[in-house]
Amino acid sequence: MDAAIDTLDLSRSFASGPALDGLTIEVQPGEVLALLGPNGAGKTTTVRLLNGVLTPDRGSARVLGFDVATEGDAVRRHTGVLTENAGLDDRLTTRENLIFSARVRGFSPDASTRLVNDLLERFGLAERADDLTQGFSTGQRKRVALARALLHDPDVLFLDEPTSGLDPAGTRDVIELIQSLAGEGRTIVLATHFLGEAGRLADRMAVLHRGRLRAFGRPDDLAAELWSGIGAEIDLGGPAGSDVLTTVAGVPGVTEVESGPTGAVLRIADRDVLPTVVAALVGRGETVYEVASRAPSLEDVYFAIEARFLAEHGGAEVTDGFMRDRVSA
Amino acid sequence: MTATATPTPSPAPPPSTPTTAATAGRAATKPGARDWAAIRLVMRKDLTAVRRSKAIVLPMILVPTVLLVLLPVALGLFARSAPTDQVANALSSPLVKSLVKPILDLPEREQIIVLVLGYLLSPLLLVIPLMVSAVLAADAFAGEKERRTLESLLYMPISDRDLFLAKVLGAFVPALAITWVGAFVYALLTNLIGWPVMHRIFVPFTQWLLVMGWVAPAVAMLSLGLLVIVSSRARTTQEANQLGGAVILPLIFLIAGQASALMLAPPLAVIVVGFIVWGLALLLLMINGRRFTRDRLATSS
Repeated sequence: MDAAIDTLDLSRSFASGPALDGLTIEVQPGEVLALLGPNGAGKTTTVRLLNGVLTPDRGSARVLGFDVATEGDAVRRHTGVLTENAGLDDRLTTRENLIFSARVRGFSPDASTRLVNDLLERFGLAERADDLTQGFSTGQRKRVALARALLHDPDVLFLDEPTSGLDPAGTRDVIELIQSLAGEGRTIVLATHFLGEAGRLADRMAVLHRGRLRAFGRPDDLAAELWSGIGAEIDLGGPAGSDVLTTVAGVPGVTEVESGPTGAVLRIADRDVLPTVVAALVGRGETVYEVASRAPSLEDVYFAIEARFLAEHGGAEVTDGFMRDRVSA
Repeated sequence: MTATATPTPSPAPPPSTPTTAATAGRAATKPGARDWAAIRLVMRKDLTAVRRSKAIVLPMILVPTVLLVLLPVALGLFARSAPTDQVANALSSPLVKSLVKPILDLPEREQIIVLVLGYLLSPLLLVIPLMVSAVLAADAFAGEKERRTLESLLYMPISDRDLFLAKVLGAFVPALAITWVGAFVYALLTNLIGWPVMHRIFVPFTQWLLVMGWVAPAVAMLSLGLLVIVSSRARTTQEANQLGGAVILPLIFLIAGQASALMLAPPLAVIVVGFIVWGLALLLLMINGRRFTRDRLATSS
């Protein structure tokens, strides 16, 4: 199957330096790709390049078979973009903003009206259809912008920080909506620095830092590259003491162990090691409340990649606010 | 918001058929061809938005009202009752005489009316296209950046050139419409005020028509050309207006100072002046058009 998005050495610099440097990725139709990275990593530049808004300095990219550098209009006919800032004209009503987009995208006046009425209804915007968007909350603006990005049923949807500025309920709504869109087989590129939403939505992740691709693949595959074996947690009703840790570390197949808030967190070669660990603990009189193997989350993978990158670069770089964002993710 | 929000316009073509028509109803225009439907839509959208902005509508109403209604009414009424001998004296020097021969050939009572309303105030009409196109261009270019609506426009399937044309025409057409409506109102008022003395319609005359029909559009386009350059560097409408003022004001003084002579010049001279202004305006627009690319807009916003 042809890739929905295919980039080769895609690069772009600005006066301030390289914004994207040698991006080579392939996204399959129906796949959800999370473009991850701190502010200034090159996520928005990538979205702009893939929609023919920016011209690459070097390399190439094709979206749905169209060359983004020479067939920008064709690309934009088949893509929908939710920009970080909703970009609504505040002097127009919700309906006018949507009708304008529908008409520019080639829908007839009647078809535009029908389509927009349907979207207003589905996005819960019908009551505010004829209000100027000036006084809208961030959540309402995002909804209008998302409706606009979807009105032509695009094959590829780019979502640039779709939940930034949203309250928890708004975030949940948007994530559910994206999940439903992903479920329809639509290709989605999700540029975000919120790991929570990426973890719930993405099939694969591309980690960018200072314009360079640091990692690309499925979280599981990347985890396998980063760590051997699987993670596990043992609930002992309280943090594990040093003698407990020594016991667990002595079990064959245990590669790492540390104390956690409710017991021990360990890394083991495979699931079969767990019964032996439990037996060792019970044998020395410990009460084991729960044992669970734990696949690494996208968050674990991201921070491990970041840590590896920082270690390789002498820890000189800080993650540009990413750690702060982690709290809100 | 429901989790099943998916509109159902006509189905998109598969990725393997990149040369088929757009996902939506209208087929892609041929490369290089103008998409006039999209151009009209952007123009209409901008005009709707502008109509709702008091900061833009007020000066567009006030300035023409002062220049084309209040000023001619006040000066016209004064001119109607002014002593005619002073006018004859003022116009009797040899240099002025040759210039204002068309006025001196008139009966003495008509001279001041024709001088004031036909030749001295009429050139103010040229300030209208200058000002209106400058205000609209600042809103269309710098305003989009300021309101952060530019980026969403850049993701639309409109070519750079069509977008540029839409923005330029979106400022040019209303500027010209306001100028011509203003010119009509001005002609109506001047004839009404002058009627008790003139007993005939004296505006428009050939040069006046040429200035309004040929030079005024060129002036509007020239102003647009200058403002597009300014707006591309400005980040806000206010900045564009301030920078634009520095560029447009000298032009206004130049026009206000020279346009009276244009009204008195032979028609051929007016046509030639119009050609020169059009030439300058189109040259500026061509340069601007080449520089107007999505890439430049995206990186400057």
